[in-house]
Amino acid sequence: MSVLEARAVTKRFGGLTAVKDVDLVVNEGEILGLIGPNGAGKTTFFNCLTGMETPTAGDVTYKGAPLPKRPDLITKAGVARTFQNIRLFNNMTALENVIVGRHTRTKAGVFAAVGRGPRYHREERESEQTARDLLTFVGLGRVGDELAKSLPYGDQRRLEIARALATDPGLLLLDEPTAGMNPNETAAAIDLVKGVQARGIAVVLIEHDMRFVFGLCDRVAVLVQGQKLLEGSPSEVQSDDRVIAAYLGKPTEAETAGDKQ
Amino acid sequence: MTSQTIPEARVRSAPDLGVLLTGAGALLLVGSALLPWAGYAGFPGKMTLSGYPGGARLYVLLLALPALALLRPLPGRAAALRAAANVELAVVALTVYFVAYAGGGFVNVGGGVYPAMIGAILYLVGSRRLPTSEAVAEGVALPDASWRFPVESLVVAGTAGLALWLFVIGLGMPSSSIASGSDLTLGPLSINDVANSGQFLAYVITIAGVALVAGRLGLLKSLTIMTGRHPKLFVAAGFIAAAAFPFTQNGSGESLSIAARIGVFAAAAVGLNIVVGLAGLLDLGYIAFFGVGAYFGALVSGSVTSVTGVHLPFALTIVLGGLVSGIFGLLLGAPTLRLRGDYLAIVTLGFGEIFRITVNNLDGSAGPSLTNGPNGVSNIPDLALGSFNFGANHTLFGIDLSFQSNYYWLELLLLAFVMTSFLRLSESRIGRAWVAIREDELAAAATGINTTRLKLLAFALGATLAGAAGTVNAHVVKVAAPDSFTFIESATLLAAIILGGMGTVPGALLGATVLYLLPEKLRFLHDLRLLVFGIALVLIMRFRPEGLVASKRRAREFHDHETDPAAEAVA
Amino acid sequence: MDVFFQQLVNAIVLGATYGLVALGYTMVYGIVQLINFAHGEIYMLGGFGALTTYLALPSGTPAGISLPLMLVGGIAVSVTAAVIMERFAYRPLRSAPRLAPLITAIGVSVFLQELVRNFYPHARSARNFPQLVNPDYQIRLGSNVQISAPQLLTVTVALVGMVTLSTFVRRSRTGRAMQATAQDPDTARLMGIDTDRIIVTAFVLGAALAALAGVSSGLQFGQVDFHMGFITGVKAFTAAVLGGIGNISGAVLGGFILGLVEVMATQYAPDPFSGGAWKDAWSFVVLIIVLVFRPTGLLGERVAARA
Ligand SMILES: Nc1ncnc2c1ncn2[C@@H]1O[C@H](COP(=O)(O)OP(=O)(O)OP(=O)(O)O)[C@@H](O)[C@H]1O
Ligand SMILES: [Mg+2]
Repeated sequence: MSVLEARAVTKRFGGLTAVKDVDLVVNEGEILGLIGPNGAGKTTFFNCLTGMETPTAGDVTYKGAPLPKRPDLITKAGVARTFQNIRLFNNMTALENVIVGRHTRTKAGVFAAVGRGPRYHREERESEQTARDLLTFVGLGRVGDELAKSLPYGDQRRLEIARALATDPGLLLLDEPTAGMNPNETAAAIDLVKGVQARGIAVVLIEHDMRFVFGLCDRVAVLVQGQKLLEGSPSEVQSDDRVIAAYLGKPTEAETAGDKQ
Repeated sequence: MTSQTIPEARVRSAPDLGVLLTGAGALLLVGSALLPWAGYAGFPGKMTLSGYPGGARLYVLLLALPALALLRPLPGRAAALRAAANVELAVVALTVYFVAYAGGGFVNVGGGVYPAMIGAILYLVGSRRLPTSEAVAEGVALPDASWRFPVESLVVAGTAGLALWLFVIGLGMPSSSIASGSDLTLGPLSINDVANSGQFLAYVITIAGVALVAGRLGLLKSLTIMTGRHPKLFVAAGFIAAAAFPFTQNGSGESLSIAARIGVFAAAAVGLNIVVGLAGLLDLGYIAFFGVGAYFGALVSGSVTSVTGVHLPFALTIVLGGLVSGIFGLLLGAPTLRLRGDYLAIVTLGFGEIFRITVNNLDGSAGPSLTNGPNGVSNIPDLALGSFNFGANHTLFGIDLSFQSNYYWLELLLLAFVMTSFLRLSESRIGRAWVAIREDELAAAATGINTTRLKLLAFALGATLAGAAGTVNAHVVKVAAPDSFTFIESATLLAAIILGGMGTVPGALLGATVLYLLPEKLRFLHDLRLLVFGIALVLIMRFRPEGLVASKRRAREFHDHETDPAAEAVA
Repeated sequence: MDVFFQQLVNAIVLGATYGLVALGYTMVYGIVQLINFAHGEIYMLGGFGALTTYLALPSGTPAGISLPLMLVGGIAVSVTAAVIMERFAYRPLRSAPRLAPLITAIGVSVFLQELVRNFYPHARSARNFPQLVNPDYQIRLGSNVQISAPQLLTVTVALVGMVTLSTFVRRSRTGRAMQATAQDPDTARLMGIDTDRIIVTAFVLGAALAALAGVSSGLQFGQVDFHMGFITGVKAFTAAVLGGIGNISGAVLGGFILGLVEVMATQYAPDPFSGGAWKDAWSFVVLIIVLVFRPTGLLGERVAARA
């Protein structure tokens, strides 16, 4: 069963085609790695999936239904994400950041907030409990009351994941979750992503750390210059010459040329 | 207040020269407070009496008291005394200046002035030499004992009462004989006006100084801890004290009417705080929404100058006035809230101007007849709820109450409602979403927040509250006229919340009070009011952008660009 | 028809003033994304600077000498004020949250107005401005269409100012550095451009042009007052947005279009919404409409993306 199906997604910025005809299927419960050299269009592809950019062409379905256009509706539908350059609500506490993630799953409006009936209190309690559980889940149980921006880098990345999880996603998109982490933190991140998978959430992650990708992912897709070069099991991808060539920046003449046609 | 390391020897060598000087200065100041400061009659505060610390001398005495801390090395002592000495010098200098000015020259000052000046200088010099190695004072929490609850409750309620009491004293201080509203002609100031202004200024500075000293000694932190534990008690005590205020006025209405105006100004400021402080939308035309409510209220008040001839019940008027204003907010916000933030500022400013021009023109000659043009809708009749007439004096519990008390209580209710809404909203799902949008709009959207809708909600809600406040205000001042709704009024409201501290209720209250009361009481500054106001905006943004009462979030937000090079690079 | 052409002339003159002031907004906004709210006051100070220069000259100085000196005096005052303002009010806030500099700008604006109102002799109400260029001297453009000498001067000064500016920005080293800084301040800095200097340059150029506008408006209307910068400033900002903020030709175009709309609406709007009483309201209506339907302006905006 597939969770997400992207078909022929294309994004052009003026003359530059950042993403070109990319098809991608994400299966239920899997961890899919998305790799590719700098500027390959990985982040742009994520942006197209999450409504941050409008794709020039192509369509995306989530659990069989077309994905809405607006970011908030996409999140509500069940696709959550993190950002390559961490984007937390810096002047809110870690706990508040995660509670904000509950926004789409809660209801209280202005009148409820001013009136504060029993239902309001119940909902607030539930949001807070969920948020605390998630903080514990990502290993930040002790820092809930700290401001997001005062957390160390690695913690900020994990907080972003907790915030995304708070939206009850069916699919989580992680943009370079280990960037800037030390080896210990990276090791912990592996467990974290596996934990997310264990919750029945499919994961797509962009990464440059190959050991991380090949050690963790069920499948790996390679994006080069906006196009999907290939897709397969970690061992298939690892042993493919074209991938190495793409990373070294020197296409092995005829091979890649032939592949493009 | 980073404590710096200083040589061991100096810390130990006691009695320190600094301690001696400070103590001597304080003693001189205490002595001076008991001697006459004016050689002539007429300066407020019985300044000619000796043996009695009247008038500004009381402030001088008060600011010398922290010197008692010399007897024991308290944490934060040096910093507190430095603050006290700075403020003391300011108060002494100011008072001497005003006494001399009002008396026609320095020759006419009393004998107390000399020791005061010498004492203030010694106090300052000495406090600067105090060893500064002592730790910064931390707020202390009371131990968890059975007596904690009653003690804390008493302190918390007492603080609320004290704050209001100080406010009431300031309010009741005599201002001047110049009729208010005479904007352009300053006219000759009487000696009395000058003296009154001087005394009021000394009063305000002293309060600020005492607060500063309390802060340095860690007392404010302790207080914050306590009020944080009993927020409801704090608010209730404050509210009860405020409600009791009319009973202290002996049937006079002057202070009440000023207090009522401050109240409505504060309510509008709190409403604006939702838009600016929480959601981060800069609204430069906020007063126009207030004006929509005011005009609506005026037009359906049954006033003879209203062309509608309609007279709605007041409760309905408030609700409808809020709604009408909210609809204007929606109409203006819906198309413009997608824009960059600073464009929104200009659009709202434009709306404010359109509103003012329009109500100015709808007089039957330049446009349809609706608002009476520049004269506005006036003669708004007094409110009546059932048989209770707001325009009549009453007697309650045997105490005479002027009719202004009725309007004062009405404003107090309005303020309480707006404050409650603000506080409850800011700690709710909606308020968190607003703050999230303010922090990072894109991330907020990616977290599932419908940013457009929520921004619109903040904007329209702010407009609604302003509209409701406007209807009330129209009945208090009995007129709705275009020149009350100029850009400078919007800017003043904005300044009130910036001065007080964005995103906090006490900040908005404090800011509104200061911005309203100072020009009211400092008539000699009347003409320079806006000049000072402009400079103040610039200086606050430069040196204390989080305002007097910083919300925790804001304080860090505004100050870390000074310490965090990464933030600098990004911006 | 004559009325129409006469109003067209008036619109062009008005538009020239808006365009001159708009250039200052657009340059500063293009580079530092600040709505320099006090720019209108810089325009006002230009008028007062020129008036002061005139008063300082011995009476009887021929207009041929006093007029250029007044322009120089106006420019000097405006530029000085702008430089001080940039250095002490805005620069310290360069990396502060966005609301901070805008609020500061409001403060500076109020301060400058009040400074003039309280401390310039007799400036509480409008002050007479010398009528050095005789307004009764009219040049006939058609049977019933004419342009007065001060109007002609305004248009001429505006055109010269605009052409000089655009040549400067396109041709000179500093001008190109300005464009680069507007595109991407960080990269510009890496390329060795002294961005602080560039920002000051933008303020200086804007102030000089605003001063020209201030002096011309004094000559045209025979008076200057402390409040004249507020409305003109907001309208000039509208013009800048209308043309596409950050875009130099856009500011000029926007100025002319706004002048046109204002003059024509005043003349031809359906009763009772025509006439001087509604003039300013129309400009703001245009502002709102433009921002709603074309927030990037007619010629497109050129503003560095801000993270
Ligand atoms: N908003 C935009 N406008 C114009 N070009 C863009 C925009 N966003 C991305 N690009 C370009 O699209 C290309 C793909 O960028 P993208 O950020 O998606 O790469 P990436 O694979 O995520 O790289 P990295 O591994 O460095 O994060 C790059 O050439 C980039 O410059
Ligand atoms: Mg990327």
